[in-house]
Amino acid sequence: MSDNDGAIERSTGAGSGEGSAGTALIVPGESALTAPIVVRNDLWTSAEGAAYDSGRESGVAHLAELAASDVSRRDDARWSGMLEVIPARADVVLDLLRANSLWPLLSGLACCAIEMMSAATSKNDMDRWGMFPFRASPRQADVLIVAGTLTTKMAGPLVRLWEQMPEPKWCVAMGDCTCSGGRYKRSYSTIEGIDRVMPVDVYIPGCPPRPEGLIYGMMKLQQLVKDRRGQWADRAIGPTVPPGV
Amino acid sequence: MTTTAGPHQHASADDPRVMLDDQIGAFEPIPPYPPRTEREAEFYTLGDGEMFLNMGPQHPSTHGVLRVVLKLDGEKVVDLDPVLGYLHRGVEKLCENADYHQVISQVDPLEYISSLFCEWSPVMAFEKLLDVEVPRRAEYIRVLSGELNRIASHALFMGWFALDLGGLTPILWSFIERDEIVEMLAALTGQRMLFNYFRIGGVNGDLNHDFMSRLGDWMSRATGQIESNLTLLNENEIFVRRARGLGVIDTETALSMCMSGPNLRATGSPFDVRRAHPYSIYPELDFDIPTRSEGDSLARYLLRMEEIKQSLRIIDQCLHQMPDSPIMAKLPRLLRPRPGRAYAAIEGPRGQYATYAISDGTDQPFRMRIHDPSFIHLQSVGLLMKNNLIADTMAVMASLDPVMGGVDK
Repeated sequence: MSDNDGAIERSTGAGSGEGSAGTALIVPGESALTAPIVVRNDLWTSAEGAAYDSGRESGVAHLAELAASDVSRRDDARWSGMLEVIPARADVVLDLLRANSLWPLLSGLACCAIEMMSAATSKNDMDRWGMFPFRASPRQADVLIVAGTLTTKMAGPLVRLWEQMPEPKWCVAMGDCTCSGGRYKRSYSTIEGIDRVMPVDVYIPGCPPRPEGLIYGMMKLQQLVKDRRGQWADRAIGPTVPPGV
Repeated sequence: MTTTAGPHQHASADDPRVMLDDQIGAFEPIPPYPPRTEREAEFYTLGDGEMFLNMGPQHPSTHGVLRVVLKLDGEKVVDLDPVLGYLHRGVEKLCENADYHQVISQVDPLEYISSLFCEWSPVMAFEKLLDVEVPRRAEYIRVLSGELNRIASHALFMGWFALDLGGLTPILWSFIERDEIVEMLAALTGQRMLFNYFRIGGVNGDLNHDFMSRLGDWMSRATGQIESNLTLLNENEIFVRRARGLGVIDTETALSMCMSGPNLRATGSPFDVRRAHPYSIYPELDFDIPTRSEGDSLARYLLRMEEIKQSLRIIDQCLHQMPDSPIMAKLPRLLRPRPGRAYAAIEGPRGQYATYAISDGTDQPFRMRIHDPSFIHLQSVGLLMKNNLIADTMAVMASLDPVMGGVDK
């Protein structure tokens, strides 16, 4: 137990290499993604020494380790690793299932969040098309609806939320502010379109879009998920302006 | 976006890239820079058996992107430190670079639940600068649409407050009311949320048939519908016993914390800008200022529900007394007010909205300061949440009804 009084401490990459030695997970070097988050228990000790795994530190397998290893290196969310034996046709079926149970993340940034909630409540019930259960944790969500102006201060936390979501995941930019900057394009503190910091699958313009607009965008996303048929191109981050324009 | 691993280096607090580049530090309770004030140094020093808990900026019940660092002793909140600025859009600066008509569209998304009130106070300030008289019909339309917006805002408050106390059904019911009202206002203004309807010297459009038929349809059953909504909560013993005595504040403290609106009236002080500093046509209308004496979360909730009924009375009078006149004063396209200063305050659903505008004779405001009640009310959460349980802190905050768009501007 260290004398460090910080509740959360990030261990070095060498420690995580030891923790996952002998398993299928290979952690290449030290990086922000591979270093696991180790929550040290400095505040509380158990009365009985033998309780809780005899006081041994358990190996922490962070999801980011899995993402950085070769096992799930591909960003196409197909069956991977030992499950490669399942025929590729299974991907099509899985995509059909995913498209009809999209779980958005409950993260509203600004004005559009109210219309997002309106789309989920009584009058326009998104649940009818299988896109309702708003999850409060990014670990349980697979669609990030960015609803509202993204400021420079919020960009870091939002990208972290996006990184915490497990694959397969999709991003919907709701509203003018997230598509292009909208009415705050000239402001000193906003980001002109979230595609500068994360890949975007569906853009929904409007300031704010009506709930019907959001539902239409989510139906487009469902179509996108179904149509990819197990294939998924690399999604670029940054302004995606074609060359020569 | 690349991340950097390793221990935090002490960056300057003025460096705007601190939160953007240092993604790992974004959710750590302790800021990556040394304490800047005595208060910060005192707060970020842990006592015996205390711990920090970070809440937000992504949290389902912080009403937007508020981040609160709680200092806990067990499950009791010892102290807390709100971290603002996650929705700072630089509205005041944008207003200085927009001409007087464009300002209306910039201030709209401040309090996005009650946008008409955000437009109302700048428009009134500019009218004082320009010395124009608003036609009476325009004033009636302003009051009519504003009170509708107040009802929509209070209806949403009912749902959110119950949601933060653990009840899911009221928000489904309150969104029915809200959707009906905003559809009605969309027929009048063309937009559901950010109406951009008030103009300097009047309003954008006259009452139309679509709006009036929707309004008449809704008014015929509004009272009954709101009463039935209230039976969900007012007679719910779990809700009432939980909200009673939670976050009590007395009148002196509330006034010293600059509270206004329903939060102040729930402590017993009958201050309402519509009566204290009358504006528009409110002196001609007959309505009561409800007050309560308890000053707790339940009183703040019940007071807002009373205000819904008063707003219905005002709407009824507006419809019956609506005069016939133009809806816009005659003004040139390019407005150049004389150099001077103007201040205009109105009573919004959250309290006193005010605008202080300085003109230097050009077509753009030299400086515009927006006084927003959400920001003012948020400064008293430290007082109200202290010594409460974690589960009650968000309920106390919801009872103050802040909107982060207005807090961060």
